[in-house]
Amino acid sequence: MDPRREYLQTITRRHFFQQGALGLGTAALASMLPERAQAATNGPQAVGGLPNLPHFAPKAKRAIYLFMAGAPCQMDMFDYKPTMNDWFDKDLPESIRNGQRLTTMTSGQKRFPIAPSKFKFKQHGKSGAWVSELLPNTAKMVDDLAIIKSLNTEAINHDPAITYITTGHQLPGRASLGSWLSYGLGSMNQDLPSFVVMTPKWSGRQQAQALYNRLWGSGFLASKYAGVSLRSKGDPILFLSNPDGVDAQTRRRMLDSLSKLNQNTFDQIGDPETQSRIAQYEMAFRMQTSVPGLTDITDEPKNILDMYGPDVTDPGSFASSCLLARRMVERDVRFVQIFHRGWDQHGDVAGSLPKQCKDIDQACWALVQDLKQRGMLEDTLVVWGGEFGRTVYSQGKLTKENYGRDHHPRCFTTWMAGGGIKPGMVHGETDEFSYNIVKDPVHIHDMNATILDRLGIDHKRLTYKVLGLDTRLTGVEDHGPVKELLL
Amino acid sequence: MTSHVFHKACLFPICMAALVCFSTTTFADDAVDYSRDIRPLLSNNCYHCHGPNEQDREGGFRLDQLESTLAEADSGEHPIVPGNLEKSEIIRRIMSTDPDEMMPPPESNKSLKPKEIEKIKQWVTEGAKWRDHWAYIPLEKSEVPTAIDANWGINPIDNFIAQRLDQSGLTPAAPANKTRLIRRITFDLTGLPATLAEVDAFLKDDSPTAYEKVVDRLLQSNHYGEHMARFWLDAARYGDTHGLHLDNYREMWLYRDWVVNAFNSNMPYDQFTTEQLAGDLIPDATEDQIIATGFNRCHVTTSEGGSIAEEVYVRNVVDRVVTTGTVFMGVSFECSRCHDHKYDPFTMNDFYSMFAYFNSMDGNPLDKNIKDPAPIYRQIPQAGRDEIAKLKTETETAQQAIKDYLAKIEYVEPEESTDAIANEPTEVVWIDDGLPEGAKGEGNSPWEWTEEKELVYSGSQASTRTATGLSQHFFTGAKTPLVIYEGDKLFTYVYLDPKNPPKEIMLQWNDGNWNHRAYWGGNLIDWGTDNSASRKRKGDLPELGKWVRLEVPASEVGLKVGAKINGWAFTQFDGTVYWDKAGIVTREGRPKEYRSLKSWIAEVKKSKPASIPKNISELIKKADDKQTEADLKKITSYFVENIFQDTKETFTPLQKTIKKNNERTAQITKASPTTLIFKETAEPKEAFILTRGEYDQKGDAVTRSTPESLLSFPEGAPNNRLGLAQWLLDPKHPLTSRVAVNRFWQQFFGTGIVKTSEDFGSQGEVPSHPELLDWMSKQFIDSDWDIKATMKQIAMSATYRQSSDITPELYKLDPENRLLARGPRYRLDAEMIRDQALHVSGLLSSSLGGPSVKPPQPDGLWLAVGYSGSNTVRFKPDTGSEKVHRRTLYTFIKRTSPPPQMTTFDAPSREACIVRRERTNTPMQALLLMNDPQYIESARGLGQRAILEGGEDTASRIDFIFRTCTARHPTTSEADELTQLLKDNRTTFEKNPEAATKLISIGESVANKDINPAELAAWTMLGNLMLNLDEVVSKN
Repeated sequence: MDPRREYLQTITRRHFFQQGALGLGTAALASMLPERAQAATNGPQAVGGLPNLPHFAPKAKRAIYLFMAGAPCQMDMFDYKPTMNDWFDKDLPESIRNGQRLTTMTSGQKRFPIAPSKFKFKQHGKSGAWVSELLPNTAKMVDDLAIIKSLNTEAINHDPAITYITTGHQLPGRASLGSWLSYGLGSMNQDLPSFVVMTPKWSGRQQAQALYNRLWGSGFLASKYAGVSLRSKGDPILFLSNPDGVDAQTRRRMLDSLSKLNQNTFDQIGDPETQSRIAQYEMAFRMQTSVPGLTDITDEPKNILDMYGPDVTDPGSFASSCLLARRMVERDVRFVQIFHRGWDQHGDVAGSLPKQCKDIDQACWALVQDLKQRGMLEDTLVVWGGEFGRTVYSQGKLTKENYGRDHHPRCFTTWMAGGGIKPGMVHGETDEFSYNIVKDPVHIHDMNATILDRLGIDHKRLTYKVLGLDTRLTGVEDHGPVKELLL
Repeated sequence: MTSHVFHKACLFPICMAALVCFSTTTFADDAVDYSRDIRPLLSNNCYHCHGPNEQDREGGFRLDQLESTLAEADSGEHPIVPGNLEKSEIIRRIMSTDPDEMMPPPESNKSLKPKEIEKIKQWVTEGAKWRDHWAYIPLEKSEVPTAIDANWGINPIDNFIAQRLDQSGLTPAAPANKTRLIRRITFDLTGLPATLAEVDAFLKDDSPTAYEKVVDRLLQSNHYGEHMARFWLDAARYGDTHGLHLDNYREMWLYRDWVVNAFNSNMPYDQFTTEQLAGDLIPDATEDQIIATGFNRCHVTTSEGGSIAEEVYVRNVVDRVVTTGTVFMGVSFECSRCHDHKYDPFTMNDFYSMFAYFNSMDGNPLDKNIKDPAPIYRQIPQAGRDEIAKLKTETETAQQAIKDYLAKIEYVEPEESTDAIANEPTEVVWIDDGLPEGAKGEGNSPWEWTEEKELVYSGSQASTRTATGLSQHFFTGAKTPLVIYEGDKLFTYVYLDPKNPPKEIMLQWNDGNWNHRAYWGGNLIDWGTDNSASRKRKGDLPELGKWVRLEVPASEVGLKVGAKINGWAFTQFDGTVYWDKAGIVTREGRPKEYRSLKSWIAEVKKSKPASIPKNISELIKKADDKQTEADLKKITSYFVENIFQDTKETFTPLQKTIKKNNERTAQITKASPTTLIFKETAEPKEAFILTRGEYDQKGDAVTRSTPESLLSFPEGAPNNRLGLAQWLLDPKHPLTSRVAVNRFWQQFFGTGIVKTSEDFGSQGEVPSHPELLDWMSKQFIDSDWDIKATMKQIAMSATYRQSSDITPELYKLDPENRLLARGPRYRLDAEMIRDQALHVSGLLSSSLGGPSVKPPQPDGLWLAVGYSGSNTVRFKPDTGSEKVHRRTLYTFIKRTSPPPQMTTFDAPSREACIVRRERTNTPMQALLLMNDPQYIESARGLGQRAILEGGEDTASRIDFIFRTCTARHPTTSEADELTQLLKDNRTTFEKNPEAATKLISIGESVANKDINPAELAAWTMLGNLMLNLDEVVSKN
C-alpha cells in the first residue's frame, strides 16, 4: 500500500476509535459503519440494510450489470435465424406480427421487408450456443453463461422501456434495482459507495439515446441509496478532491476541529444525527484516499490489462469501466452498473453494430474470466443486456449489405453469469422470425426477480410502502425467479 | 400574543416512570382507539381482499364498512360479533396457525404481530367501537383543551400539545434561547439565516412583542414567498426541461414566479387553488390567472420518436389526476387507475370521472421538443408593450398616409412604355432572423437561435448548432420560392467555433428534392454522389472564429434556370457552427421598373410571380370582359402603391416603415417569455374507463364527476375544473384544509401531524394530534384560507419556540419528536444550505424572479446522460454574480440530471409530485460541502467578511464569523479551537503562498487584493469549517 494512504487510513481509524470511545448512542453506531472491527473475524458484514434481510442465504454477494442502452439486435448477435435468408425482402407475415403495435417510426412504412442477419453464426462450447462473428470473445465463454433468448417487455420506446427495466415502472418516480439492493442489504464497506454507476463512451451511432439519472436513482427511497456515478473525467466521484491549494493534511486538520466542535454540539444538544454526521465526514475523508486508490490501475499486471484489451488504459472506455468494476467488487462494492450507449440501430446495422460489439466483446469476456480466475465469479452475478429487442424487418432501405431495425418488445436476448446462475445453458426460444417467443418466456420482472433471488432477496418481500401500497421492483403481476436458471 | 415565555422557568423534571415505549404511529395508551390502533391494522392486513375493491373481494364481506363487518359472510359466519371473541370469525382466523385457515394468508407476505392480535381482541371485547376513517369525516371544530399548566402555552396549539404530552407523562421543554429562536424562525419563514443586525436588534428588544415583531417582519419579506414557493414547486413538479427522452428546455418560469408572488401577496388558499386548477375558466381571467394554470402543465412530457400520441395523452392526464389527488387531497388516486382502490373508497369509475376534468386540453400531448408547446401564454414586458403600441400608432399613420396618397393620385397610362430592367445584380435575402414565410423548420433538434452579439453577423440573431457526428437544421415549404435565373449565386455567412470546429459543413437546397449539395472540409457526410452536383466539394473549411461568406453558383449544384427553391438545409459533422443571412445574388430576380400598368399586367399574366397577393392576381387573371370597374380600381391601386416607378418615392418609405415596425413587433414578441398554460377545448373530449389502465383498452364512457364517497358536488357549480375547485374548497370537504395545514406544519417541525403528508387514506399514518389538526384546519377555513395567519399561528406557539435539546431518555421515548416535548431540530434543506452559504458570505443576490439560472456544476454531468441532439446535452454555466449567486430556487432544473447541489441533499428531481422530502446524512454531502467550488467561494467570502467587518483582532473576528453562521457567540473552548485552527492554517499557507493564492482564486467573485493571501486562505479554511458545522447545516 502507498505509505501516504496507509498513514491517512491510520489517522482516520484512530479518529474513529476515539469517537467510539466517547460513547455513541445506538442510532449513531448503526450509521457509524464499524464493520472493519467485525470484518476482522467474519468477512464483510453489511451495515445499514433491513433487519430481516437477506431473506435466505445469498448465492451472489455482489453483482455487475452491463447495460447495453438503445437495444442490441438480438438476431445479429445471439438469436440465430438461418431460415430468414430465404425471406430476404419478403414481408413479415401478418400472422407473425399478430397485432403487435408499432412505433410511429415504422408504422408509416408500406412494407415490413425481412432483413436476414448479414453476420455469420457458429455454435460454440459444450452448450453449442449460437453466437455471431461480431462477438468472437463472448463466443469463447458461452459455457460460463446462461443465455436467455426469451426476455420480453411491454414498452416500445426507449425512455419508458429503460425506465421500466431498471426501476420496474415505465414512468419516473420508482427506485432503481441498485437502490433496492442498498436499501435492503446495506453496504459491505465503509470506504466506498455501495452502488456505483459508470457511463462509458461508445463507438457506434453517435446520435445515441439518452440516459436519465432516475435509472440509478432512489425514487421513493431515501437519496442515500441512489447509485453514485464514477466519472472518467474530473473528480471520479463528485467533489471528491480538495480544492486547489488544500492538501490532505490541511483537510485533516480542518476535520479534526470539525469533529471536536460537532462533538461539542452533540454534548450540548444530544441529537444522534450530529454523531452520524461526524461519521459521515470521516467516511468522506476515507473516500478521498480509497477512491483514487480504486481508479489508479497502475498496480494491475500487464497480463490482466491485456485481457481487457487495448482500450483498458483509455479512461472512460467500456473496457476500463469493466476493469474498474472488477476492482470495485473486490473492494466489496455491492452493485456496479455500466451503461454503454449507442445500441439504437434504426439504420446502418452493418456499419454501426460491429463497432458497438467491438467496444464491449473482449472486455465482457475479460471481466468474466478475471472474476473466475480470482474465484469471485461464483458469488458475483454478471448480467448483460438492453431494454428491448429489435425487429427482423428492416426500417428504411433494405439491401443485402445493409439495413436498419426498429424497436421490438416481444423478445430479446440477454445473458447472465456467475453468482448462482447455471452456466452453459440457453434458455427460451423464439420463432423463426425472432418475433414471438415459442418457449419459456422471461418477463423483465422475472429477470429482476432472479437477480434479487441470487442476492438473497425474495422479490415479493422486499417492499416499500408508497401511497399506501407495498411497492416492489417487480410490479404487481405474478412474476418470479426463473427456476431453470438457478444453480 | 406575548413573549412572556422567555421570562418564565419551565424546567419540570421529566417523569419517565409511567411511560411505555411507543412506536412512531401508536403512542402508549391503554384504551384501544379504533382509528388509531385498529383500522390501520385491518387496512394493511385485510383490506386487500376484504376492502373497497369489489372485483377482488373474498368471502363476501368487507372490513372497511361496519355493516358488512357485522353481517353474515359467505361462509355463514359473522366476521365480528361485538363483545364476543368466540363468535367473531376473524379472531379465530387471525389466531389460527393452519395455513389454509390463517389470516392474513401466508402467501400475502403479511402478518399480524402478537401485540397487534391482542389489540384487535381487546377492541372486539370492548364492543368493537367503530368510526369512519378519520380523514373522510367532515371537519368539526375541536374543543380547545384547557391548559395543563397555566404557565405554559401561548395559543391554543399549545393546549393540544400539552394535553397529549401530559397523557404520556411528558412536559414541554424550556423555551429556546433568543439567538437560536431568531435563526430558527428566520429560516422557517424566509429560508435564509438572520443577519447579525437582525440578531442584535432582537436581542436588544426586551419588549413582550419582540418575537412577534420579528415574525411579522419576516412574513412581510419578499423572501417569504420564495421560501414558501419552493415547497409548492416540489409538489407541482416544476422543472425547466420536459423531463423525458430528449429532455429539452421548456419555458415555465413565469409560473414559478406566479407562485412566489401568490405567497408574497398572501393570496388566500382557495384562490390559490382555484387559479391553478381552473384560472382559464374564471370569467374574464386575468393574465396571472392564466399563468397559474401552468400547474397542470408541469408534468413530464415527451416527443420521443416512435411515441404513440394516444398513449402519451393518457399518461399526461393521469399525471394531472394523480397530482391533484396527492397535492390537494392527500389521496392516492393512482391505485384506482387499473382497479377499484383496495384501501380507500375510490372506484375506477371515480378515477376516470376525474380524468374527464383534465383531458380536454387544447393542444398536442406530444411536446414537439420545443420550449413552448401549445397552449402557452406569452408575457410581453411593459416596456415592450409600450413600444409595440407606439409602433402600432406609427404604422397606422403610415397606412393612413398611403390611403390618402392613393386617393389623391390619378393614374394615367403613358402612351409609350418606358419600362426598364435594372442591370446590376442584387442580393435577395431569404433567411435572416427567421425563416421565409410558410417555411417549416425541422432538424435533428429544433432550430436554435443565438442573440450573442459577436456570434451574429446580420440582424439580431444567427442560427446555431452543436453536434456530435452528423446533425442539421433545415426547412421546406417556403411560400415564395427562390426562382433561379441565369448566373445566379446562392450565398450565406458562416462562423465556425474555433474551440469546437466541425469536421465538415454542407449546404443543401430543395427544389422538390435535396440533391443539390455543396460542402466544405472533410467528406464525411455521404449523401448524394461524390464529385457531382449532389455532393460538390467547394473547398476546405472556412477560417475558424470569423464570419465568412460562402457562395455557390446555382448551376454547380444542378439548379437549372427556372428551378424553384423552397427549402434550405444547414448541415454539419461535429462541432459548433453559426449561420446567418442567406439568399441569392441575382440579376433577373430583381423586379423590373414599370411605368405602364398595361405592360405590368401583361407581364403578370405571363410569368405569374408568386410575390403578388392572391386577391390581386386573381383579379388580373379574370378575362377582360369580366373585370368590373371596382376590380380595375383595385389593380390600379395596387400597381400605384407597389409597382409604379414614378410613385415609388412616395410609397416606399411608408411601406418600409410599416415593414420595419412589423418586424420589430415580431421581434419583441418573440423575445418575450412564454409559459405553458391550460386551455380547454371548445368541446370536452370524451373519457372512458380504461381497462387495466391501458390507453388502448377503452371501456364504458364516463362523464365528469367527483368521488361521491367524499362529498357531493356543490349545487349549481359548473361541471368543469372550476366546479371541481369549488368542490375541493367547499368548507364541508374533509381533506383539502387538513392536507394543506398539515404541510404547513411539516415545514416547521420536519414532520406533519400526519407523517405521510402525501397519503391521508387508510394506509397512511394516523395523525399524532388529530384534534389539533382538525382545530387548525377549521381555523384555516374560517380565516378565509389565510396562509400567513396560519404560518404566524404556528410560529407564535410555545410549542414551536421550545428548545430542541434532547436527553438520551427523551430520545429513546420519542426519537422522531412526534409528541413535541422539544423544539424541532433537523438538517436544513438543500436550498437553505446553499442560500445560507451565499448569504453569510455576502454573495447572495437578492433579486426576485426571472429566467432560471445555471450556477457552475462539475463538467460533463449533462453530457454523461443527455441525448446527443438535446438542447440541454451540454451544460454551460452562467457567469456574473447576478446569475450564479441567485437563490437556489432559481437554479435551472434539468430533470433527467438535476443539479447535484440539490439532489445530494434530498431535493427531488421534479419528475413527479413530491410533498415530503427524505432527509439523509451521507458522505457525499460532506464532500460537497467541503469541496464544491461555490462553497469554497462562499467560505472565502465569509473569511473575507470576518477580516473586513469583524474588528481588528483575531478574537473579535472569530466571534464575528461564528455569530454570522450560528447567531450565537462561541464558547471559550470553541473560540480556542478556532483560534488554533486559524494559527495552524496560517502556518501552512505562509509556508506555501502559492497554495494560498490558488485557494482564494476559486469562484466567480474576486478576492480582496488588499488582504494578504495567506491570511485570507487561513480564514477561508475557517469559513469552510463553519459552513460544514453540524450546527450550521441544521435548524436548531
